[in-house]
Amino acid sequence: MTVRNRGALAAMAAGAAALTVAGVVACGSRPAEDVGADEAAALASTTPAPTPTTTASGDPSVPVNAGTLPAAGATVPPVRLRIPPIGVAATVNPVGINQRTDEFEVPPSVDQVGWYRYGPGLEAGTGSVVIAGHVDSADQGKGAFFRLRELDRGDTLTVTGSDGRERPYRVVAREEYAKTGIPLDRYFARDGSPRLTLITCGGPFDAKTRHYRDNIVVTAVPA
Amino acid sequence: MQFAMFRRVAAIGAVSALTFAGVGAATMSPAYAASSKVSVVHGIPDTPVDVYVNGKKTLDNFKPGDVAGPLTLPEGKYDIALTKPGEAVDKAILKVDDAAVPGGANISLAAHLSADGKPQITPFANDVSKVDAGKARLIVRHTAAAPAVDVRAGGKPAFEGLTNPKEAKADVAAGTVKADVVLAGTDTVAIGPADLNLKEGTATIVYAIGSADAKNLDLVAQTISGLHSAPGGVPSGTGGQAGTGVDTWWYVLAGAGVLLLVGGGARVATARAGRR
Repeated sequence: MTVRNRGALAAMAAGAAALTVAGVVACGSRPAEDVGADEAAALASTTPAPTPTTTASGDPSVPVNAGTLPAAGATVPPVRLRIPPIGVAATVNPVGINQRTDEFEVPPSVDQVGWYRYGPGLEAGTGSVVIAGHVDSADQGKGAFFRLRELDRGDTLTVTGSDGRERPYRVVAREEYAKTGIPLDRYFARDGSPRLTLITCGGPFDAKTRHYRDNIVVTAVPA
Repeated sequence: MQFAMFRRVAAIGAVSALTFAGVGAATMSPAYAASSKVSVVHGIPDTPVDVYVNGKKTLDNFKPGDVAGPLTLPEGKYDIALTKPGEAVDKAILKVDDAAVPGGANISLAAHLSADGKPQITPFANDVSKVDAGKARLIVRHTAAAPAVDVRAGGKPAFEGLTNPKEAKADVAAGTVKADVVLAGTDTVAIGPADLNLKEGTATIVYAIGSADAKNLDLVAQTISGLHSAPGGVPSGTGGQAGTGVDTWWYVLAGAGVLLLVGGGARVATARAGRR
């Protein structure tokens, strides 16, 4: 065997090693598969039958309401979220929209999470109660939802309302979407089956813009 | 008093052949426009009525200040009649024949007093386009026997110089505002103040009703929900510790590996070929 040949073989070995390492890294960092996507979609399209309204006589299908000025509804905001499988115990703040960006106003403190106060509260018989939290931040480190993507179907969590009542939920889906393609209308819907939607960031991180490419969305139903 | 006037209007058939064609042009949705949602608002004080649509009693003993509907009506022409409760439809006190309801619209029919105090029916096209996340739509309609008014929110004029039977509207931040109605250009309060809870993602339609002369001006509200939009996005991470992407350098390494394999392989092959 010539020296030249030996050098070539060494190059091949180094090449194979490089490919293997890169491959292992690629596989290792691939996000977990989505689970329960169909079930999450079905929850959005089913609406519990409304209780029929009746009038004294005339056409019973025509509801009649006193045209009083609308008063504030009796919402039950979530105040505390516990997700034992991933060690989450976080305060929930009512949040709205960032005026400048038109985006969800996720609480700046990464150990707290935010409930979308314009959507349904825990009292609602329909729609999606949305709670979003940071996966991490550049200056505060890991956030409350750092391990959200580890949740799996069947995991349980508990949301406590402002009324002090604890409400158990069971995870039915975990999905990852590019932020440019996430069907937000479905997750911020006020109709469909009652459900809890937890949202954070995930996927590849762009160090230049300091943004994640994707959103991780976990859907849970009352247990 | 009010009622006597009501009868007189009916007798001369002042309001007939009302058409909603203009409404249709404004609100018709392009695709499969077939039926419309129609609500009825009662803004004539002291005058409960039965409401007939095409001769069929649709609302029984419909009271002033109440809002009925929405009914889903297929596109077409409708005869609408208001009678004293329990009276036959041919004794209608106010009627509209062949009212054209366009397809795909959302309409409110207001039975109210004109600026000079005559009962009439005015169709309004409701703006049911989506509102931005965090916003609510406020629509104010002047349907009272009263002169031009300004509507103030938090003490500042929001809508100015509104006359019967016109509307003014704006998409505003959701929440509660203290509103009142003043005679146009003055601080003379005609109605209110009242707290308006403008719920996010809804349209709140406020009708000024009644008569300034009879001192029974009041407000009637109708709410249309389901106009909400989702937030623009959910930004929830700036650290990068949870990034799952493959860094560019790993692609470079993989590329180098391929080059080394192919290059080395080629050398081995040529060396073998040369020895033969």
